[in-house]
Amino acid sequence: MSALRAILVNSLLTAGLYATMSYGLAVIYGVMRIINLAHAGILMLGAYVTLTLNVRFGIDPLVSLVLVIPLFFGFGVVLYVLLVKPLPQSAGGASIESLLLLFGVWLVLQNLAYAIWSGDIQSIMTGYTMRSVSVLGVRVGLPGLAVFAVSAASLVVLEATLRWTYLGRAIRAVTQNRDAALLSGINADRISAVAFGIGSAFAGAAGSLLAMLYAFTPDFGRSFLLKAFCIIVLAGMESVSGVAAGAFVLALLENVIGGYTAIPTSFQDALSFSLLVVALVAFPQGILGAFGAWTGRRRKLA
Amino acid sequence: MPTEPILSVRGLAKRFQGLRALNGVDFDVAPGEVFGIIGPNGAGKTTLFSCLVGATRPTAGEIRFRGERIDGLPNYAIVARGLVRTHQIVRPFKEMTVAENVSIGEYFGAGGRRRADPGKRIAEILDQTGLASRARALAGTLSIGDAKRLEIARAVATEPYVLCLDEVMGGLNPAEIVAAMSLIRSIRDSGVTVLWIEHHVHAVVGVSDRILVLNFGEKIAEGKPEVVMRHPEVIKAYLGEEAPRVV
Amino acid sequence: MSLLRRSARFLVWPVAAFAVLAAAGPALLSRGALNDVWNTAFAVILASSWNILGGFAGQISIGYSAFVGIGAYTTVLLALAGINPYLTLPIGALLAALFSYVVGLPTFRLRGPYFTIATIGVSEAVRVFASGVSFTGGSSGVRMPAGSFDFVRNYSAMVLLAVIVVALSAWIKASPFGRALSAIRQDIDAAEALGVHAAKYKLAAHALSAALVALAGGLFAINFQYISPGSVFDFRLSLTIVLMPIVGGLGTVTGPVLGAILFSYLQIKMLSIPSLRDSYLFLYGGMLILVMLFEPKGLVGLLARLRRAPSAPSPARPVSHAD
Repeated sequence: MSALRAILVNSLLTAGLYATMSYGLAVIYGVMRIINLAHAGILMLGAYVTLTLNVRFGIDPLVSLVLVIPLFFGFGVVLYVLLVKPLPQSAGGASIESLLLLFGVWLVLQNLAYAIWSGDIQSIMTGYTMRSVSVLGVRVGLPGLAVFAVSAASLVVLEATLRWTYLGRAIRAVTQNRDAALLSGINADRISAVAFGIGSAFAGAAGSLLAMLYAFTPDFGRSFLLKAFCIIVLAGMESVSGVAAGAFVLALLENVIGGYTAIPTSFQDALSFSLLVVALVAFPQGILGAFGAWTGRRRKLA
Repeated sequence: MPTEPILSVRGLAKRFQGLRALNGVDFDVAPGEVFGIIGPNGAGKTTLFSCLVGATRPTAGEIRFRGERIDGLPNYAIVARGLVRTHQIVRPFKEMTVAENVSIGEYFGAGGRRRADPGKRIAEILDQTGLASRARALAGTLSIGDAKRLEIARAVATEPYVLCLDEVMGGLNPAEIVAAMSLIRSIRDSGVTVLWIEHHVHAVVGVSDRILVLNFGEKIAEGKPEVVMRHPEVIKAYLGEEAPRVV
Repeated sequence: MSLLRRSARFLVWPVAAFAVLAAAGPALLSRGALNDVWNTAFAVILASSWNILGGFAGQISIGYSAFVGIGAYTTVLLALAGINPYLTLPIGALLAALFSYVVGLPTFRLRGPYFTIATIGVSEAVRVFASGVSFTGGSSGVRMPAGSFDFVRNYSAMVLLAVIVVALSAWIKASPFGRALSAIRQDIDAAEALGVHAAKYKLAAHALSAALVALAGGLFAINFQYISPGSVFDFRLSLTIVLMPIVGGLGTVTGPVLGAILFSYLQIKMLSIPSLRDSYLFLYGGMLILVMLFEPKGLVGLLARLRRAPSAPSPARPVSHAD
């Protein structure tokens, strides 16, 4: 059935983007047990920076990633050092103070965007925005395909880094057992800073990619933050593959609702979210957690 | 045993994502006895307590408390029925006073067993656990010894039929250990059945009526201390093949 | 001591405050000043009610505008059906409590920040729903039926409600219910291990605060005569509701009141200074950051710090045992 194939292909493409967007949130939580609400703001800033680079300097959004990624990595590290580190942290992280502090940062970033770029709806047009290509018999937009390629590549690089570099292994160690990792000599402070950097870099990059596909205002981070949260709750946050799987499930859900029902897009978000809440009631360990141990340890959220 | 056991466990198992913390444990506890539980680190002792009080759901098995099946019930419901435990790593409510901490147990855990004069009861418990002088102190400012006593005081305040103590002697000096042993005896004398996980084998052997020995999530011995401590499996579990000088 | 006598001490100040504001207010103050008091009372109700769940129980919900909206819409829609507006208030409160219960059942399984994010999502869903469905008037809102409108009556009701909510907070804080909430906030597992049925108390705190907030929402609707999803289901409103107790002093009784007064003042200023209005996010965000970094206990904490003689040592910091 071509309709089904269209849904699957589109879901796959969107899933790549969603996974990139979610991983930024996941890595910070994994290392520091902090939910970074500023993630939404960084996402949004990534989009606007890309916009400016495109409009003022004519740089293609995909190319601008080369600038965006290091820029936001640095931003994340600075954010950590200036604001997160000084916080009196309760043993075990996940404090209300950090949540609210980062929420405050998000608000400030939003205001910054309103001040610099105004609240008008923006979008990025490139030479290939309107072009499309046939993939497995389904017509997909070229930007969508490019975004998927970049997302997939970034996740592969990430997985490789986690598996084969010292840094990656240190991150995984701290995520799984902070105390043991510290005892092994890992510098928690440095790893936290790096994690924040990576998280912001992914958020910023995801923002750039989102800007290629969607119109945006300073407020648009919120809906994507909620999606990222849904994905993390569905999938747990320790494995890249888990996040990818969760991203696919959400994307599939959205496409199925959009494809087979007449429910308008704004409702779809509410609906996806409600289904998530229902799923949480049925599977408190996250849906993938219910499928057993092969995906690795699940972190309890409740 | 001659009388009906107050706590009866059959086939208790608990699995954590592929790790079998408990693998089919059976035992009975008689009312009014002090029942020690010992075993090497990682034997599953704390997991056992978590299952008993409903902090964790057992993977399999039956737990009967005073004739009623309680496995699967939530923690607060089991406490209401009179089965409570202390935590190995103490968890005081740091922003409340010692007396307020104890009052939480008294008010919410004692259910129908609440005494007529709560204030007096709390004062009694504080006396019994040696915390009377610290009654108005914030729990967050207590020394480790006092904090452990608070942990016990709170649990006692729930007027339990069975009290499960999890390594209350960890980190105590010899004088404090003696005081703790005497506290446990006084709790037993007031009619409470005591289950007691402990690493200080001498203390457990000295106070317990019977002992259960766990290793790798399984029971390797159960019975009177003198008998259990001579059991070859127990000796092997703790010390390799050498016989310990216990008595 | 009988319940009445024990509670009496909570009633002295509130009764006095109410008498002054409600009785003397309309006689002595200009309409503009009365409006300011009305706004402040509205803020006090929202802040103090939220504080029952957010401050006492430690469950931070950034979705309380949903309850304001439920109260407001219930009042308008039932008034349009012919019911006396003031009689619709308890119905709105009941609906809000029910909704809070339904939402709470799944979301209270989540802890800390997860719960907070879930509340953001729920309130978004409610707003989208209200904008999309026709019987609520869609995104253009609804208007109260034409009728004589008595400001003094509405004003008195709002002030009375504010006084009741603050007195109620004080009473709860000292009661066993309040202690249960505090235990839940500090260590929910330890609380459950002592017999506290945490879910029950969380749901109760949620329902109570939702009902109170809805009452305020209903009074709001009666006063402004016209409501829309943008005005009552606004994320910015949810945000303000959270910020007032946090900046004032989370978990205290006076904190939310102080925060409410501060924010009401800010809102008045914002009406007259456009640049302030445009930077409200910066202001709110900045306040959050500063409070979290320097004085998590808010204004109440700050005042306590200032009141302590500069030479006196600060009180013993709770020693944290190995967690």
